[in-house]
Amino acid sequence: MTVTTANSEFDPYLTAIIANRIDGIVREMTNTLLRAARSAVINSARDFSCAICTADNQLLASAEGLPIHIFGSHMLTAAMTDRHAGDLREGDCYLHNDPYSGNSHAADHAFLVPVFIDGEHLFTTVAKAHQADIGNSLPTTYMAQARDQYEEGALIFPAVRIQRDYKMNEDVVAMCRSRIRVPNQWYGDFLAGIGSARIAERRLKELCSKYGKETIRTFITNWMDYSEQRMIQAIKKLPKASVVRSGAHDPLAGLLPDGVPLNVKLSIDPDNSIIELDLRDNVDNVPCGFNESEACVTAAVFSGVFNSIDPTVPRNAGSFRRLGLHLRDGSVAGRPAFPHSCSLATTNVADRLINITQSAFATIGDNFGLAEGGIGMGAGTGVISGKDHRLGNEPYVNQLIVAAAGGPGSPTADGWPNYALPVVAGLMYRDSVEVDELKHPLEFQYIRILPGSAGAGKYRGSFAVEVSYGPKGQPMDALWPCDGTHYPPKGVRGGEDGIKAQHWKISANGEEEELPNVVITVLKKGERVRGNTTSGGGYGNPLERDPRRVLKDVLDGFETIERARDVYGVAFIGSVTTNDLTVDIGATEKLRARAAA
Amino acid sequence: MAYTISVDTGGTFTDVIVADTRGLMTIGKALTTRDRIFLGMREAIEAAADQLEISFFELLGQTTLLIYGTTRATNAIVTKTVAKTAFVTTKGFADTLLFKEGGKFNPHDFTQDYPDPYIAKRHTFEIEERMNSEGQVSVPFNTAQARHIAESIRDQGFEAVAISFLWSIANSDHELRFARILDEVAPNVPYTLSHQLIPIVREYRRASATAIDASLKPLMQRHLEGLQHDLREAGFNGELLVSTAAGGCSNVEALIDKPIYTVGSGPAMAPIAGLTFSALESLGNDVIVCDTGGTTFDVGLVRDGNLTYTRDTWLGPQYTGDLLGISAVDMRSIGAGGGSIAWIDEGGLMRVGPQSAGAEPGPACYGRGGTLPTVSDAAVVLGYFDPDYFLGGRMTLDAGAARRAIETVSSRLGSTVEETAYRIIHLAGEFMMRAIGDITINEGVNPRESTIVAGGGAAGLNIMLIAKELGCESVVLPKVASVLSASGMQFANIVAEETASVVSLTNRFDKDKVNATLAELKDRLEAFRRALGERGKDYRIDYYAEARYLGQVWELDTPLASGSFAGQGDIDALVNAFHEVHERVFAVRDEGSPVEIVNWKARLTAKIASREAPNVARMAKTDASPSAIRQCFFGTATPVSTSIYKPDDLGLGAVIKGPAIVEEPTTTLVVYPGMTATISSAGNYLLSLA
Repeated sequence: MTVTTANSEFDPYLTAIIANRIDGIVREMTNTLLRAARSAVINSARDFSCAICTADNQLLASAEGLPIHIFGSHMLTAAMTDRHAGDLREGDCYLHNDPYSGNSHAADHAFLVPVFIDGEHLFTTVAKAHQADIGNSLPTTYMAQARDQYEEGALIFPAVRIQRDYKMNEDVVAMCRSRIRVPNQWYGDFLAGIGSARIAERRLKELCSKYGKETIRTFITNWMDYSEQRMIQAIKKLPKASVVRSGAHDPLAGLLPDGVPLNVKLSIDPDNSIIELDLRDNVDNVPCGFNESEACVTAAVFSGVFNSIDPTVPRNAGSFRRLGLHLRDGSVAGRPAFPHSCSLATTNVADRLINITQSAFATIGDNFGLAEGGIGMGAGTGVISGKDHRLGNEPYVNQLIVAAAGGPGSPTADGWPNYALPVVAGLMYRDSVEVDELKHPLEFQYIRILPGSAGAGKYRGSFAVEVSYGPKGQPMDALWPCDGTHYPPKGVRGGEDGIKAQHWKISANGEEEELPNVVITVLKKGERVRGNTTSGGGYGNPLERDPRRVLKDVLDGFETIERARDVYGVAFIGSVTTNDLTVDIGATEKLRARAAA
Repeated sequence: MAYTISVDTGGTFTDVIVADTRGLMTIGKALTTRDRIFLGMREAIEAAADQLEISFFELLGQTTLLIYGTTRATNAIVTKTVAKTAFVTTKGFADTLLFKEGGKFNPHDFTQDYPDPYIAKRHTFEIEERMNSEGQVSVPFNTAQARHIAESIRDQGFEAVAISFLWSIANSDHELRFARILDEVAPNVPYTLSHQLIPIVREYRRASATAIDASLKPLMQRHLEGLQHDLREAGFNGELLVSTAAGGCSNVEALIDKPIYTVGSGPAMAPIAGLTFSALESLGNDVIVCDTGGTTFDVGLVRDGNLTYTRDTWLGPQYTGDLLGISAVDMRSIGAGGGSIAWIDEGGLMRVGPQSAGAEPGPACYGRGGTLPTVSDAAVVLGYFDPDYFLGGRMTLDAGAARRAIETVSSRLGSTVEETAYRIIHLAGEFMMRAIGDITINEGVNPRESTIVAGGGAAGLNIMLIAKELGCESVVLPKVASVLSASGMQFANIVAEETASVVSLTNRFDKDKVNATLAELKDRLEAFRRALGERGKDYRIDYYAEARYLGQVWELDTPLASGSFAGQGDIDALVNAFHEVHERVFAVRDEGSPVEIVNWKARLTAKIASREAPNVARMAKTDASPSAIRQCFFGTATPVSTSIYKPDDLGLGAVIKGPAIVEEPTTTLVVYPGMTATISSAGNYLLSLA
């Protein structure tokens, strides 16, 4: 089956019009899912994405979704067309969360609706959302220590039909209700996901009836070609280069004493406008939840590329034609060997791969690539659960999103404070402290920037964020699989590394116990956790930073006078307390000349 | 004769409408004078007085009501000329204004710095105190430390103070204690308390609104009192009201107290105009209001005769700007208009905007040195704008420059200049359509069942194309289209709103607590109403729950039948009302889920009495005869003979068949081939796709 036409002249006007319409459809999907969803992980953290694929399983459009979700959408739809070949029809909807047949990780439930125009399958709409719970053996969707997929424990749906003729398969609903914690919350998200995929179905039918199926086929061809052309132009602006860049995920006590070493070979060929990414030189799958799924490893390194080129290049199968990817079967950063667990595939190793890829670009020259961004989901993004004494001990479980790791310095800008993770890149919303305290029986002591923590640079990373909280009534389980407590994000081109994440448990009498990176703990009333995220790495030599930027950070208390002098080579006249602090230009020049010598 | 004057002072122009007791409207326009608003206002009123053939002083002396809309606050925020403001908050949460609520558009764009918070960290002060979510003291208020901070604020010369503590909405004691210290230590420094201005859950929203409000207090007090003084000096003895973002107007005292409500108040008047004109022309209560200027396109909604409200109005870009937080009329603004630039991108795709030629240098046809092809240049090339009679002859356009500009694009496309220009007009409309799509989808409104009311100087160029694409059958271009907001003010009522945050669940509903809350909201509004005197006689109070299914994050405004809950029946009615709202907006309902009410809201609407239906018709004739024929292009290679009408050519009930162009002094209406425009009995243009 082919949905495109071979001979179609590029129409720069009609292509623009229809692209805008398709984009509008994905926006409507996004809005529907965002606002109708029940769990905070979707409606507050925006941990979901919507996309449209063609019937021959090419990613067509994706609007503002998370790259880690979207870039593999076509693998999901391929699983649907393969498994149900000959038995797909209008009114169907499929649930897919199997990391071994195209999904990111089991916690992402994807809703797939094949769209039929005059009886012909032309598109598949994809609404994917991270669930608050998926029935794992522990109350978390991130099972760092799961030996394999069986220990992980989620219900797996490899493109399972959940609707036929627009009617629900209630058996699947009953299965999920029997296994998933807080089933009403899950069911609300389930309805929102289907609603989102169905809205797009309706709108695509309207679009095709307006323009005619042939025009839409022509558009698909043109849009893919156009996107490829944009990618060609973007690659032509890069120098020819071949770089091997390495990094590592943190150790995991008892299992991975040295962590997970990672290598990406990046080859840029501007003459032929091709970027090759070779990940074959990586270790075998590991006996815990850190393995990448094929969808995630693809999305991660592609994200690293898109972060390093013109940000307006469309992200779809057309622009992907110019990206070559080489993976190895059975590798932690390749195609996983069953039944290894991919529970953390969307975050930990994926975050490292994005960082390694974008910082590989930085090695090829000034004005290319990015520093490494902050990593690790610590206390500020922990999963909390327990019983709410205020509501008759009703159970609760949710992931907090209150403290985000700092963003990377770039060739033109400082890192952003709400960056969170490379896979999130600032798209996620933060929880309101008040809403979290209202919904869960806990109290925060602080959520604040940790001064002096940014990876220094000509453009610095963003700061680490400190957080502290504890339960108000019944004991509270807190879980998080943090990265970055051993290996911090790296600076590039002379920029400093970011700082490491650290966490402590504080007893009722004030004793502090440092926690490991992967935490499964119970906090009793009076106890609390405190900790900090990683900060972003700096881009370029701190001695080249505009002294006015340094002054501003000092005035706001984000940097100290000492670090300004010692790291940035900036001297001041006056003082913060007397409100007359200014840059001492002469002394700054001397300091910088001496440091450079 | 008694007059009502409405004044909309924009960044560039001051628009005035003078209405007499018969509802006859006269438009006046002048350049805005930022140093002293009254001067531009006077010039615009004089322009209207001239048409009425009376003097400025006579007109002002006979004016019983003047409604003033201002962008003063908005401009001060944009130009960063607000008061030096201290932000005082709970210890441990000083970065609330920096973190905001997170979110970003493009995950791959790392080229820009993160924007500064509304109030810098160096102007932020942390108080040792903490309330918890149940309103109990978790960290006692440290009076000595608070006093020390109040003294620092005074000594450092702060001009205003924004006070927003965590959970002050559950227990306001600590905010009030800090206020008392401030009263004592710095008695002349104005301040805003978050629990009084905006008692809603979510600390960033409350802090942001509080910071914006406090920062505007000194200047808006000076501004409004200054204007009041100038008007009195000029012999105005009537009543002065000010338009607000809440979709009505209020008295000067109320806005000195809560100046944040003047932010965005101009656009908030457009939906009132939309509703008025749609109802006048018997086109229903569901209205899409569009206002197209040179650089921005604003769109808003009226649903079932009610304005739509949002707490998500951002000053600046969504996510990274500053959130207004108050419940304001939902008007969305995008950068698109006559100045939007057409270009071809690296992949060969045709684009229009988001870059704009702005007012300087402006479109190439303005002859001020602009060379980039804009939507206005396309209109010139197509023959829609008469270069010698633009804006009623007040401006001459450079047709050669327009053509040369469009050629830079057409040569790359390999199509004719006219064909390219026609496509530019269409493509510009795409982004306006998307903005309409976003807001109608959000509210669950079907454009096909709504009426478009179009305003703004550039509206007539493509509103019919947009209507056609949306499948919208009814379109009104009011005679006063170019001053849509000022016309809305003529029909605005006095609106006041009070909110309280008492989080309630319908399955464990504390009826007495909610009733007490609603009664308190009513009492506050009643006190305000009584102070209005005569104006407060004809009024109603509507109650709303900002509600969601348990577990959701985004609330939907749900109307309540009354201001108290008598029994289970009333609670069930609220649940049903919520199901209906949710189904309308999201197409699903969850019958099994309890409904959670986060905020309770009461809105007072005091009717401003004795207003006539708007009537702008001064036409004697009843037919239409064009004063010229011009060759215009409508997408075909060869031009079409097109009838050109001036206002004097048109009579009531006249039907204009496309292709035709109507050249109003402040706007140009293009009637495309196959479409028609009819002059209504009130003198407005009713546009029809067939």
